[in-house]
Amino acid sequence: MKKAVVLFSIACFVSFAFVIGTQTLFYIPKNWPAPQYNFSKNPLSEAKIELGRKLFYDPILSRNGSISCASCHSQYTAFTHVDHALSHGIDDRVGTRNSPALMNLAWHNTFMWDGAINQLDMQALAPISHPDEMGESIANVVAKLKHSTAYPKLFFTAFNDSIITGEHTLKAISQFLLTLVTANSKYDSVMRKLSYFTVQQNSGYRLFQKNCSSCHIEPLFTNLQFENNGLPVDTTLNDFGRMKVTLNKNDSLKFKVPSLRNIEFSYPYMHDGRFKRLSDVLNYYTSGVQYSNTLSPQLKNKIKLTSNEKVDIIAFLLTLTDKEFLFNTNFSFPRTK
Amino acid sequence: MKLRCVFILLIFAFKSFLALAQTEQKTSIVFHPMFGNSILTPNNLFYSLGNNGDSIQIETFKFYISAIELLKDDKIVWKEENSFHLINVADEKSLTIFIPGASNTVYNTISFNLGIDSLINVSGAMGGDLDPTKGMYWTWQSGYVNLKLEGRSNLCKSRNNEFQFHLGGYQYPFNTLQKVILKVEENKKIDIVLDIKNFIESIDLSQQNQIMSPNKQAVLLSEKAVGIFSVK
Repeated sequence: MKKAVVLFSIACFVSFAFVIGTQTLFYIPKNWPAPQYNFSKNPLSEAKIELGRKLFYDPILSRNGSISCASCHSQYTAFTHVDHALSHGIDDRVGTRNSPALMNLAWHNTFMWDGAINQLDMQALAPISHPDEMGESIANVVAKLKHSTAYPKLFFTAFNDSIITGEHTLKAISQFLLTLVTANSKYDSVMRKLSYFTVQQNSGYRLFQKNCSSCHIEPLFTNLQFENNGLPVDTTLNDFGRMKVTLNKNDSLKFKVPSLRNIEFSYPYMHDGRFKRLSDVLNYYTSGVQYSNTLSPQLKNKIKLTSNEKVDIIAFLLTLTDKEFLFNTNFSFPRTK
Repeated sequence: MKLRCVFILLIFAFKSFLALAQTEQKTSIVFHPMFGNSILTPNNLFYSLGNNGDSIQIETFKFYISAIELLKDDKIVWKEENSFHLINVADEKSLTIFIPGASNTVYNTISFNLGIDSLINVSGAMGGDLDPTKGMYWTWQSGYVNLKLEGRSNLCKSRNNEFQFHLGGYQYPFNTLQKVILKVEENKKIDIVLDIKNFIESIDLSQQNQIMSPNKQAVLLSEKAVGIFSVK
């Protein structure tokens, strides 16, 4: 009976779903925009998703077999790298940015803090090839997969072709990443009228809508754009963000607006992980924003919040935690059944 | 009477044999890598540069051509489907492109793109010659490298006198895709000379030895790279 209720509620709130048996592997939550990913060029299948999941958790992708995707994108922290301002990779080398959380990727058409990657399939090439991350090449990854005992069979099952290619490797990883949908936080259940905010959460939500939601647009909690949020430049990194990709000075200091979903667990914050606590972030927005030519227009008028109001906003932000997502066993390390 | 029949049959057979031979001849495009008057091979051979005793070695020369079309008096008479080819001077096989589908068309011009267009650049993982394992895809910033030319010259003030030109970029204002249009002899096999001498000599190697990302220099050099192609 309970199962039937669960299934019924899933059916109600899912307008499109990719269902295998009773398992929903990908779905578009009700009232969400259409995804950006072109599924027709990489149609989802259970075998491909499982293959992608195995690859995601397999350090075979790195030069010396020490680093997997999950090393910097762990599920319990919304697939980011906590505790480190700057993420570290192979041989303990430290990168220059905080690894982004991996959530609702089907709705994105740019990736990385600076949007250097234009399509989800191509995303994995960057960490695989970066000397500070996995220090490997896709050609060599494919060679290693070909010589492994497990993978040729898995590729054959997934793609009906036992010859492993870069294309299929990347598409399989995309398939797994596409399934990482988070839309079952308390906020979502309130929006579906299945639950209520507390008075404090409600006050925080109103304040959020007034002060934050022009960039962190619901329901994804990002406008998917690049904005300069006024952070002073860290002179040890001199990271000017999007400008490095476009070579356009109007893009100086712009970084992709991150989603706030599961923000409770995805600390530290900002592209360089400079803030450890949400209170640091809110204090920054009321008193740290630096003016420059490319400063986001939304921040040109100073944000004013009392300390109580900040506490209320944080109470609201904590309602964006989706425990079902963080502990969904479909997303975790694939243990042999 | 009988003899006459056999004779006519023989004539037909001979004619169709000729047609077949011709078909085979005209259904391929063959690239001939050259450095001025010398055949270009990507190994340790030295080629002389300019008149001051300078020299150059080529280690890598590969590029994409796409959207092959045959024209007769400016009208498209044939175009290749899924037309993407990685031409690699070090890989003899890649220097010939068979286009059997074009055998029955009458043409006097060939046109193709040097590089990969923007649509393919934003369409995710591709297979065949476009597979990223081919080493012609940038990993840190999405996009195909349209042309790679690497080697050494005493003129380069870089480490080991190396130069590396990776030309690519599909987004305005750094779109490096170029169209190449060549007049060819009517309905003959298409022999295309790839002579990089003038191209290299147009670069001041003492000042410039590296392009590794989409930028203004990449666009300028891509425009010059069109001059590499000519018809034998």
